[in-house]
Amino acid sequence: MSNQSTSAPVLRVEDLGMYYGTRSGDVKAVDGVSFAVGRGESVGLVGESGCGKSSIAMTLLKLLPENGRIVGGKILLDGTDLAPLSEDQMRTHRWNRIAMVFQAAMNSFNPVYTVGDQIIEALEVHIETSPDVSMERVRELFELVSLDPGFIGRYPHEYSGGMKQRAGIAMALACEPDLLIADEPTTALDVIVQDRILKELRDVQQALNMSLIYISHDMAVIAEVSHTVGVMYAGRIVEWGETVDIFRNPMHPYTQTLMSAFPSVTGPKHELAMLGGEPPNLLNPPSGCRFHPRCPYATDVCKSAEPPRVEGSDTHWAACWHPLEA
Amino acid sequence: MAAYIVKRVLQIVLTLFVFLTIVFFLVNAQPGDISRLYALDPNLPPETRAQMQELFGVNEPLWKQYLVHLKNTVTGDLGVSFSLYPRTVADVIKERLPRTLVLFLTATVVSFYLGFGLGKIIAWRRGGWVEYTSTLGGVTLYTVFTPWFGLMMIWLFAFKAGWFPIGKFLDPVVWQDAPSDANSIFNLMLATAVILSVIVFGVFLVTSKRRLGMARVLQVGSIAVSVLIVVGVWLSSGVGYLAWDIVKHMVLPIATLTLISFAGTMLLTRNSMLEVIREDYVLAARAKGLPEKAVRDRHVARNALLPVVTSFVFSLAFAIDGGVIIESIFSWPGMGQTLVAATVSEDLPLAVGTFVFVGLFVLLAHLAADILYAYLDPRVRY
Repeated sequence: MSNQSTSAPVLRVEDLGMYYGTRSGDVKAVDGVSFAVGRGESVGLVGESGCGKSSIAMTLLKLLPENGRIVGGKILLDGTDLAPLSEDQMRTHRWNRIAMVFQAAMNSFNPVYTVGDQIIEALEVHIETSPDVSMERVRELFELVSLDPGFIGRYPHEYSGGMKQRAGIAMALACEPDLLIADEPTTALDVIVQDRILKELRDVQQALNMSLIYISHDMAVIAEVSHTVGVMYAGRIVEWGETVDIFRNPMHPYTQTLMSAFPSVTGPKHELAMLGGEPPNLLNPPSGCRFHPRCPYATDVCKSAEPPRVEGSDTHWAACWHPLEA
Repeated sequence: MAAYIVKRVLQIVLTLFVFLTIVFFLVNAQPGDISRLYALDPNLPPETRAQMQELFGVNEPLWKQYLVHLKNTVTGDLGVSFSLYPRTVADVIKERLPRTLVLFLTATVVSFYLGFGLGKIIAWRRGGWVEYTSTLGGVTLYTVFTPWFGLMMIWLFAFKAGWFPIGKFLDPVVWQDAPSDANSIFNLMLATAVILSVIVFGVFLVTSKRRLGMARVLQVGSIAVSVLIVVGVWLSSGVGYLAWDIVKHMVLPIATLTLISFAGTMLLTRNSMLEVIREDYVLAARAKGLPEKAVRDRHVARNALLPVVTSFVFSLAFAIDGGVIIESIFSWPGMGQTLVAATVSEDLPLAVGTFVFVGLFVLLAHLAADILYAYLDPRVRY
């Protein structure tokens, strides 16, 4: 699990902000987010629905809806800042450098074309190849994700859910991207298929030494695939660290609540924690620490001032006025 | 796929049978019988009247007449026209059906192409003057009173501007001492059009698997070459000026038909596009780094096409209805005008024959659309 490279990170995100303009004001979906992903590293982003996880994924690819806009910060991919790039310049990076496995991978294939054609389509935009070479590549990809190459010429409706998800992964790997973003790719699958696909995704990631950002609301899934975890709350990263540290010694009260909201099969029985209150309104987020209205440890300072970044170790930090002791 | 087509063909044969039955009984539900038309003369002796009834077969019971009618229709014997005696109904239809088909197929294809293209653009770039102009203009033309609009077109482009002839199928002055008659020239034109569309369809079929840029070059190139060859052949044939005369007479009715009908396709395409744009595979296509145009045409428009094709079939049926009006206004000697003339002059065999062919045409259009749909949507094929 710890084959993290020490070389320069593939992706460095600095103070990134992305707002959705609405009639009643800006929804601050991503607000001042900074993190780095090393080559071959697997990072998990975890948090409740609506905390900005998927928004980060879409911002990295700059695939924003009409009302979404990047308000500041940098997206450094191998040193190149993607944030100011035009649509045309961005197109050469998409899929070629950063690829994605979608949340609804079931629906990420166009029903009127064969799956093979849609993978070839992605290949041909970025790489000059002959049809034979592309076909050979698709066959390789199918084998890589344990799909029967006989299905290359079949249509998406002939695939099962798990097969479509595998095909989605194969398509994402087509151009050997430096970074793969997986946005809750297994949510719609049953647990057995989910587990198998997670395992394969992890194997492929390690075999290709590819960087992975895995987005999920499920701590257990994140623990299985990720070396590093970022915990998101209300458009911000509130805690960042290696998976082991996050699970053993959560520093942020939100992380702790999130963790005790999941039952442990082997551990001692305990009442599952419930997080009171509602997720914050990102139109007008709470002042100071955004978690303070729901935090059991909140004091006056939490309401008025931005929390400082507290380091638990070289690789572990949390943004909190009252971090939990290890 | 073959089973699907066989099933559809059987359904169509059944529908045609029902259609023939309804037409026969509707006509017979009218008071009197065909022979009365000729037998009203009080000077006719009763024996002649009985002879006439026997000649027309109306002395037989209705069910027997019905069976004879069915048998004759199936064997292609549609009787003799009263008003154009001694021409047979089949002969009249053989002359006029191609004229209507050319008019309507051209107009429908052009309006479909225009409507689909515009709908695609206004859905992709919402807001702006293109959307407002085409929506306002399209809806105005769609709802306009057709006879008035046809007359305005004639007044503006034929009478005031003098660019096109005022009506009819050809100009007798041009055709004086022509080496060939209008029907054979027109049939040659028809054959040319069929060959051209087969080539265009073939080119699209062959190139659809190619890369986008390459496919475009191949498509435009081979179509341009075949058009040039066709024009060259016609120019050197010595009868090109005759064909050109017919083409000139076709422009205004086709333009009128196109203008009054493209808005339906346009608005449907727009709505259909806006629905497809929200699909996940469109987001995935963007994420793959496909150029904007490829996302629009290959992914969004390709799927938005499906409901548009369905409505296209219905618009074909309506085009025939509108044909009665358009053909009358432009004095175009096609099926619509024949139907009106046959009805007005109580030429029952011709009216029934025309009805049968219009019905047959609509059914065949449905069949073509079903096959096209199966080709476009792989989910229907199985």
